Amino acid sequence: MAATELAPAPPAGSVIARAPRDRTASWPLIDRVGYWLCWAVGIGLCLVALAIVAFMAVKGLSYLSLGQLVHSPAPSVVQSQSGGFLDPIEGTLIVAALGTSIAAPLGVAIAVWLSEYRRPSWLARTVESAIEIVAGAPSVVLALFGLLIFAQSFLGFLSQRAATGVVNGRSFFAAGAVMALLALPLIVASTREGLAQLPDRLREASYALGRTRATTIRRILLSAVRPDIATGTALGMGRIIGDTAIIKILLGAGLTLQPVGQTPVAGLLRGTGPTLTTYIYENSPAGEGLAPQKAYAAAFVLLLIVLGLNGIVTWLTSRGGQSGGGGLNRAFRLIPFMPNPSG
Amino acid sequence: MRAHRTLIVSLILAVVLAATASAAPKRLLIDGSTSMLPLVKKLAQAYHKAFPKLPEPSVTGGESDIGISDVAAGRVDIGDVSREHEAQDPAGLYGYKIARDGICVITNNANPLPSLSQETLSEIFTGTIRDWSEVPGAKVSGPIDLFDRESTSGTQSAFQNIFLGEERKITPSATAESSTGLEVNAVAAEKSAIGFVSLAATIGGGVHSVDYQGVQCTLPNAKSGQYGGVRNFWMLTKGPKKGEAAKFIKWIQADNKTVHAIITSEWIALN
Amino acid sequence: MAVLVLIGAMLATVLVKAWPSFSHNGLSWFGPGGNVDTQLRAMAESKALPGHSLYYFRGWTLIWGTLLTTVGAVLIALVVSMLAAVFLTEFAPPAIRRVLDPVIRLLAGVPSVIYGLIGILVIAPYIDEHWISNARRVSVGYVVQLNGNDVMTATLILTLMILPIMVAITASALASVPAAWREGSLALGVNRWRTIWRVSLRTARPAIAAATVLATARALGEAVMLAMVAGGRGFAPNLLDGITALFEPVRPLAATILQNDEGLTIPALSHTIYAIAAVLLVSAGMLSFAGWFAKQRFNRYGIRA
Repeated sequence: MAATELAPAPPAGSVIARAPRDRTASWPLIDRVGYWLCWAVGIGLCLVALAIVAFMAVKGLSYLSLGQLVHSPAPSVVQSQSGGFLDPIEGTLIVAALGTSIAAPLGVAIAVWLSEYRRPSWLARTVESAIEIVAGAPSVVLALFGLLIFAQSFLGFLSQRAATGVVNGRSFFAAGAVMALLALPLIVASTREGLAQLPDRLREASYALGRTRATTIRRILLSAVRPDIATGTALGMGRIIGDTAIIKILLGAGLTLQPVGQTPVAGLLRGTGPTLTTYIYENSPAGEGLAPQKAYAAAFVLLLIVLGLNGIVTWLTSRGGQSGGGGLNRAFRLIPFMPNPSG
Repeated sequence: MRAHRTLIVSLILAVVLAATASAAPKRLLIDGSTSMLPLVKKLAQAYHKAFPKLPEPSVTGGESDIGISDVAAGRVDIGDVSREHEAQDPAGLYGYKIARDGICVITNNANPLPSLSQETLSEIFTGTIRDWSEVPGAKVSGPIDLFDRESTSGTQSAFQNIFLGEERKITPSATAESSTGLEVNAVAAEKSAIGFVSLAATIGGGVHSVDYQGVQCTLPNAKSGQYGGVRNFWMLTKGPKKGEAAKFIKWIQADNKTVHAIITSEWIALN
Repeated sequence: MAVLVLIGAMLATVLVKAWPSFSHNGLSWFGPGGNVDTQLRAMAESKALPGHSLYYFRGWTLIWGTLLTTVGAVLIALVVSMLAAVFLTEFAPPAIRRVLDPVIRLLAGVPSVIYGLIGILVIAPYIDEHWISNARRVSVGYVVQLNGNDVMTATLILTLMILPIMVAITASALASVPAAWREGSLALGVNRWRTIWRVSLRTARPAIAAATVLATARALGEAVMLAMVAGGRGFAPNLLDGITALFEPVRPLAATILQNDEGLTIPALSHTIYAIAAVLLVSAGMLSFAGWFAKQRFNRYGIRA
C-alpha cells in the first residue's frame, strides 16, 4: 500500500496521546450525564474535604488559646471557660508511645519471620489470617477482649483494685496493649511490602560473603527497609491516635490524669485518664460536658496531629525504600489495612 | 540474646509493679447518681488534698440504681443515691445523708417559660398536652420535645414522687437521657425541649429553669423551703460503714469548713 | 507464636463470655420483642423484667438499625466511589489529580470523633430544623421524638467515612487495567465513557468487591461516630412509614457496646454485651470470607486488588 499520510504516524507506544480528541460533545446524552456526574463527584469530594478542614480550622482557632495547651482540665459547672487540655494531650502521647513501642518490635519480627523463614508453612498461613482478622475486627471488640484479659486477678497490678478485690482492668497499660493490636497489621504489612521489594541479589550477596541468615536480616535487610518500618509505624500511630472506642472502654471517661499509687511512671501507667479523642467525645453534646467550644479546640489540635502524621507518611513514601516511584502506589496498597483509623 | 535480655527486663519490671501495687493503700471506688457526681468529685478532691497519703477516691456516674446494685454486689465501696429508699432496693444497705438538692424543670433558653402549675406540669410530662400552643407563656410553637431520665435514675424517681405524685407516670415516648449532663445538653440543644434536672446543673446557665407554682427554682428558695422540689443525697454502703469508706463518709458528715463551703456552693447543707 | 495464641484466645474468650446470653435466649436473641432499651436497663439493675429471665434480650432492633445504616452507606458509597475513582484516573486534569490524592488520604485519616462532632454539631441541627417538619414530628410523636440524630445523618456521615477506602482501591485497580485493553476498545471507536464502563470497571470488579468488603467491615465496626449521631435509642424504624423512617433514631450494634460499657461489671449485662461483640466478630469474619469468595469468582477475568 502506498504510504500516503492520512494522519501523522503515532510515536511508538502511545496511541492515545496522538489520537484525535474524543470530544464529549459527540457522545450520546446518557454518556455525557455520566461524564458530568464524575466531574461533580470529584470536585464535590474536594469541596467536602476542604469544608471539613476549613470548618474545623475556623471553629478550632476561634476557641483555641495557647493557654489551653498547657493547663489541665478543671472541673467546674461553667465548662466553657475553665481549664485546658494538657491532660488529654499527655494521655494521647502516652497511649501512642506505649502502643507503638509494643507493636513495632513485634510487628517487624512477625514480618521478618513471615517473609524470610515461613516454616512451618501452615503456621505462616495461620498467622497471616490471624493478622487479617485483627485488621478487620472492629475496635470495640478488641477493646472488650482487652478488658477481659486485664480484668483477671493475676494482672491486677497493671490497673487498680476495688477495696473488695475486684480488678478494675482499666489503665493506660491495658489501653496501650490493645492499641498495639491495632497498629500491628499496619506495621506487618508495610514491612513485608518493603522486604518483598528488596531484590534477592542482596540476600545472595550477603550469604556468599559467609554471613548467617540472622545476621543478614539484622544488619542488611532491616536497615534497607527502615523507611517502610517508619511508614508502618507512622500509619499505626495515626490509627492509634484517632481511636476513641478502645480508649473509652479501657480508660473510662475522666477529665484528668489519675495515677494510681505513688511510683512516678508506673503509677501513671496504671491509672486512667483522658486522651484527646475521649476529651472531644465527653465535651460534645454526646458526652457530659456542655462545652462544644472546647470540643472544637481539641478537635482542631487532634486534626493537626493526624494531618502532620499523614504528611510524614507521604514524605516517607515519596522517598521510598528501594523503589522510589512506587511510593504512592505502595501507600495506596496499604490503605486496605487502614480501614479503621478510629473506632 | 537480645530476646532474653528483654524478657528479663520485663520480668523485673512486672515484679516491681506488683510490689508497688500491693504496697499502695486501696483506692475508694464510688459510683451512682449523676446528680451527685459533681459534688462527690469535689469532695473527693478536697479529701485527697486534706490527706495526701490517701489516694483520691475514684468517682464515676451511672445513675442511682446502678450505684445501689454495684454497692450491693461489692463492685464499689460507696454508692451515691439521689432518692429515698424504695421497697425493691436490696436489703443490707446502710445510708448516710450528706446533703440536699433541688430539682428544677428546665426549658431551652429560647423558651423562657415563666411558670408552671402542678396541673400543667403533670399534663405535659404524662403526655396529655403535646403542643406548646396549649401551654400559657410558651415562646416557641410546635410539638413539645419531652426529655426524661432513664428508669435507673434517682432524679427521675424523685421527680415523679415530688412533682407528679404516685399514680402518674412520665409518658414512654419521652426521650430518656442517661445522666444529668446529657439531660442538660439535650434541653440546651432543642428549642422546643423541656426536662428536669438537679438544681446544681442549672447554675451555669445554658438552660432556663421554670418557676414551679410561682416560686423560682433557685438555691436560696430551696434552702428556705419555699421551693417544694427538694430531695436528699445519700451515700450507701453494704453493711455499716467501715474502713476507708467510713473515713470518707465521717469526714464529709463532720462538715468542717472546707466541706461546708463545697456543699453550700451549689447544694443545700444539712445544717 | 505468641501472637497466634493471643488472637485465638481473643476469639475463644469473646465467644465463651457471650455464650450465657445466647443459651438463655436461643435463636430468638436475633428476633424482635419488647423494647431493647428496657431490657438492657433491667439487666443493669439486676432486676429481671416481670415474666422473663434476667438475660432476656431481643436484639432485632439493634440488628435492624445496623443493617439500615450499613447497607445504606455501602450502597451509596459504591456508586459515588466508582464515579470518583473514574474521575480520578480518567477525567481529572493533572492539577486536580495532584490535589485529589492527598484529599482522599486526608479523608481516610480523619478520626471518627471529628466526623461525629461535625455530625452532631452541624449536620444534625441542620436536618432537625430544615428537613423535619412539625407535621412529621407529630405523626410519630406518640412513639418517638425526632431530632436530627437519625438514620439519615448517620448514613450520610458513614458514607463519607468509607468513601476514601473504596475510592483508593478502585482507583488503584483502574490504573492497573492493561493499557492495551483500553486502547483496543478506543480503537474500535467506542467513546471514552463506554470504554471505562464496559472495559475498565469490569476488569476492576475484584478490586471493587474487595473494597466493598473492607468498607462494610469498617461500617460495621464504627462505634463512636454512630454513638454520637445515630440517635442512641433502641428503635426500629418501620420502612413502611416512608421518608419519616429515615428521620427516626436507631442504635447500631457497635454503638450499643460503646454506650453500655459502664455496665461491663454487671454479669447479665456483660454477657449480653459480649454476645453483641461476638455477633460483630462473626459478621466481620463472614465478610472476609465473602470477599475472598467474590474475588475468586471475579478473578477469572479481572485484576487482583
